[in-house]
Amino acid sequence: MLRITVDGTAYEVEEGLTLLQALDDLGVLMKGVDIPHYCWHPKLSIDGSCRMCQVEVEGVPKLQIACDTPVRDGMVVHTGNERVRKAREGVMELMLVNHPLDCPICDQAGECKLQDYAFDYGQMHTRTREPRRALKKRVDLGATIVFDQERCILCRRCVRFCREIPGTSELAITQRGDRSTVETFPGKPLENDYSMNVADICPVGALTTRDFRFKVRVWFLEEVPGICTGCSRGCNVHVGVADDQVRRYTPRRNDEVNDTWLCDYGRMTYQEIGAPDRISEPAVRGDAGQLVGTTLEQAVECAAQLMRTAVEKEGPGVVAALASAHATNEDLAALRGLLAALGSETHGVPIVTGPADALLIRPEKAANAEGARVAGFGEPGLLLDKIRGGGVRVLIVLGHDIIHEQFLGSPEALAALDGVILLDTHRSRLEQVAHVVIPARHLAEKGGTVTNFEGRVQAVPAALEPAFEAVAEAQVLARIASALDLSISDESERKRETD
Amino acid sequence: MVSVATRAAIDAEIAKMPEKRGALLAALRLVQAEYGYLPPEVMEEVAQIFGLHPTEVFEVVSFYNHFHVQPRGRHEVNVCTSLTCSLRGGRGLLRQLQAYLGVRAGQTTEDGRISLGHEECLGACGNAPMLRIDDTYHLDLDWVRTQQLLDGLE
Amino acid sequence: MGHRVPHVTHYLTEHFADPGYTTLSGYRAQGGYETARRVLAEQSPEEVIGTLKNAGLKGRGGAGFDAGLKWSFMPRDQAGPSYLVCNADESEPGSFKDRVLMERGPHQLLEGILIPAFATGAATTFLYIRGEYAEPARILQRAIDEATAGGVLGSNVLGTGFAHQVVLVRGAGAYICGEETGLLESLEGKKGQPRRKPPYPAECGAFGRPTTVNNVETFCHVPHVFARGVDWFRSIGTEESPGTTLFGVSGHVERPGLYELPLGTRLDEIIFEHAGGVPGGRKLKAAIPGGVSMPLLPAGHLDVPMANEFLREHGSSLGTGGVIVMDETTCMVRVGCVISEFFRDESCGQCTQCREGTGWLHKLMLRIERGGGTEADLDVLEDVAGKMEGQTICAFADAAAWPVQALLRHFRSEFLEHVRAEKCPFPESFEL
Repeated sequence: MLRITVDGTAYEVEEGLTLLQALDDLGVLMKGVDIPHYCWHPKLSIDGSCRMCQVEVEGVPKLQIACDTPVRDGMVVHTGNERVRKAREGVMELMLVNHPLDCPICDQAGECKLQDYAFDYGQMHTRTREPRRALKKRVDLGATIVFDQERCILCRRCVRFCREIPGTSELAITQRGDRSTVETFPGKPLENDYSMNVADICPVGALTTRDFRFKVRVWFLEEVPGICTGCSRGCNVHVGVADDQVRRYTPRRNDEVNDTWLCDYGRMTYQEIGAPDRISEPAVRGDAGQLVGTTLEQAVECAAQLMRTAVEKEGPGVVAALASAHATNEDLAALRGLLAALGSETHGVPIVTGPADALLIRPEKAANAEGARVAGFGEPGLLLDKIRGGGVRVLIVLGHDIIHEQFLGSPEALAALDGVILLDTHRSRLEQVAHVVIPARHLAEKGGTVTNFEGRVQAVPAALEPAFEAVAEAQVLARIASALDLSISDESERKRETD
Repeated sequence: MVSVATRAAIDAEIAKMPEKRGALLAALRLVQAEYGYLPPEVMEEVAQIFGLHPTEVFEVVSFYNHFHVQPRGRHEVNVCTSLTCSLRGGRGLLRQLQAYLGVRAGQTTEDGRISLGHEECLGACGNAPMLRIDDTYHLDLDWVRTQQLLDGLE
Repeated sequence: MGHRVPHVTHYLTEHFADPGYTTLSGYRAQGGYETARRVLAEQSPEEVIGTLKNAGLKGRGGAGFDAGLKWSFMPRDQAGPSYLVCNADESEPGSFKDRVLMERGPHQLLEGILIPAFATGAATTFLYIRGEYAEPARILQRAIDEATAGGVLGSNVLGTGFAHQVVLVRGAGAYICGEETGLLESLEGKKGQPRRKPPYPAECGAFGRPTTVNNVETFCHVPHVFARGVDWFRSIGTEESPGTTLFGVSGHVERPGLYELPLGTRLDEIIFEHAGGVPGGRKLKAAIPGGVSMPLLPAGHLDVPMANEFLREHGSSLGTGGVIVMDETTCMVRVGCVISEFFRDESCGQCTQCREGTGWLHKLMLRIERGGGTEADLDVLEDVAGKMEGQTICAFADAAAWPVQALLRHFRSEFLEHVRAEKCPFPESFEL
């Protein structure tokens, strides 16, 4: 360990790091030690071109860029003195020479590093009388990203990202000098599974996602920590909420899970939350064989009745549960608690698999596949055999992605059951065979813990209330238990503690 | 597809360098000599030869003045407009050339004969004003001599 | 091509009037390659470096760094190859000496390469020549081929057992490739954008290997140092800056051309005695001592000896020794326009201050020249130049800022005249 002093405060830092890396690792960069920067990004190679992070290092005559200055034992650094401030003001003024000064109509406003630093280091008026460069305002770099050439400050983060993270290299800085610009190769658009990250790392309003741009001003967004439910990586996200709707996911840095990235597929899963096919109302199958809307109380009672009848007739073994790997650990614990209280041990979790890569995307396409395994839910094969063999009379189905071609194929297999109790977020063909349908909450609507493929248990709070009346599955299951005069709270609590 | 001869010449350039990519500029010059310019499909072919992403070739092509992604005239006429030539009439010469050819610097005459341009110092300051026609320097020019040179171009 | 060849006592250009000197036999007829053969056969690399350090030969590419010292930075005991690079990307406006050195004395250059190549243990020299220099490239390639066929280059250099090859690499039109790390990037087939330092090239240069980059002229002096000795070499020029250099004189002089003269020759002597002074009986207004990157000097400051230690006191530098002379008709704002246009065109675009500042300076200059400037613009010019200076990856931004600062320092009144007259008050000046 080395000792350095930054603005009078001593820090112990690891050898071999640059000043910005070291301060970032300590968690003080921009949180106590303000060294503004544009081109430097903790997960990309050093570029050293924006020149914003210049600091004074005692004993070195010229100002040094903190992103590329290795820490030395005994190093004394000043990050905010007059000389440094003047240098930053110089960089800011020059960066703004050709940048449009129309923040009010820029989509980045509110989360723009240029705007932030201009406030700190900028002049209150512009000294340029020359017209700014007129460039293209709306270049489609690919299906997901729109480029505003005028706003680009040429920090090369996006170029380095494509080369270094997905390794797809679609972007380049072409031309030179003040004609430089970001371009794709003719006929080869920006097209990779992580393309939208370039909008996250763009420090200005040059790169925006087609999905989010000009949908909502960011100052109306409430950003709540969340977990992406697209696969078992469990990438950390910010859930951006405005007007009681999730408007976007953006990656939330977690160096142990997803660094600062998020795949495009996972990012777009936010759309599931406000999707029109959400199950929004409890229903029970009426006398005419149709699902009829009802209250949660009645649906719970109906579910309890189906189970009660089956247990009375054939014993607790005929009640079984098919859970989804989308369910939280709390939901799964409640489900196991209910089955245990009933005296049934029959359950399974089907886990949908799909393409994976070496970066983030995992083959298991649900956030809590590992959590389900840890909770003791096994492969669904045995359960499905038992259902087909008539050994199950009532089935609780928790969460979606159950009738996937990889398992059930079609809901027909469940048609012969006396009771199918469906707790789900989204409509599906399962409703054709369900006797009770109860709306469930999405992870972002209930919070809880999920366990990623490496066994990391990650807890998130609820980010928003659902647009309709729905309670978390664990509570629904508790209500069913209570209607059956069973108690599952202990089991659930015990489960929580061991997590 | 680049010709067999060009490909062989590229391979010879590659053989001179410790790393393949070191021959990229030479290869682009050879390929441009064959096609007259560097359209996307040609840049892609070069990228393939060098194991690069096409953008890596594209950014190099766009960085250097001598590579062109648009078709060019049969001759490149470039007037030196650096300070020393300017002091001795280089920019006046360019103005006369623009008027004579009916194109501005950076453009090509309609008959495809000449692409006119101006260049930074060509390293012949002792013989200003001067211009370059393709690979040949023409020194100590006046307008009469310049006109003769132009008229002699096919 | 009709180059004016100097007629003064000199060693670099002594045989340049002889067309045969460009051939291997012609060069050998003048004793060529004898020095290299003797040095390689009789001296150790350490002795060679020692001699070069004692000679005090300063780099002739612009920065004036001690060449022997630079070569001594090369690690000697590393596994794998190390390289020399000959910077023949001569592009500094006002500089044209390297072109002539290559066209008229290609073998002198190759001999000058062999000695430090041996001393640094370099296996290969990459001779990076600007793309526009087609003719010098042709002449050099012929010389390399001849030297290789004649056993001067190759696996057994001049029968000494030392192996060395010279590979000619052509640029493609970008001034910044003259910056040594920009050159290395270009050599590797990339955009010529200068590298962050450290690591310095001696540690990690071309293709990740230890590398030293020197200018064409620097190499050309080397055989003469060894042929005639350190004492002889140090007897020419000044204490700090020994030897001759090729001053390229251009602009408003009677006899523009190259003049090989001792370092420390006074600027006014070069302009008036050697280059014949300003034509037409006009007066001299200003001169740039070493290519457009160097701050200019007004008429009253021309009695300065042309060596860095003296020019420094006048706020300027020798640069590449390209002397640009401007007569009394010259509009200094137009000079600013032309120079700032050059830097705007040639900035590589990496660093914010340089990319944006060069364009801004150019726009300001143009507006002032066209009569649309204000007094406040002069302060902005000065301020922007100040913001560009000393804060970027390479020295290009400094080179763009210095001429502007010097113009304002010495000719602020001319800028003010433009502002007040709302037009250019120098109708006789060169055409913009």
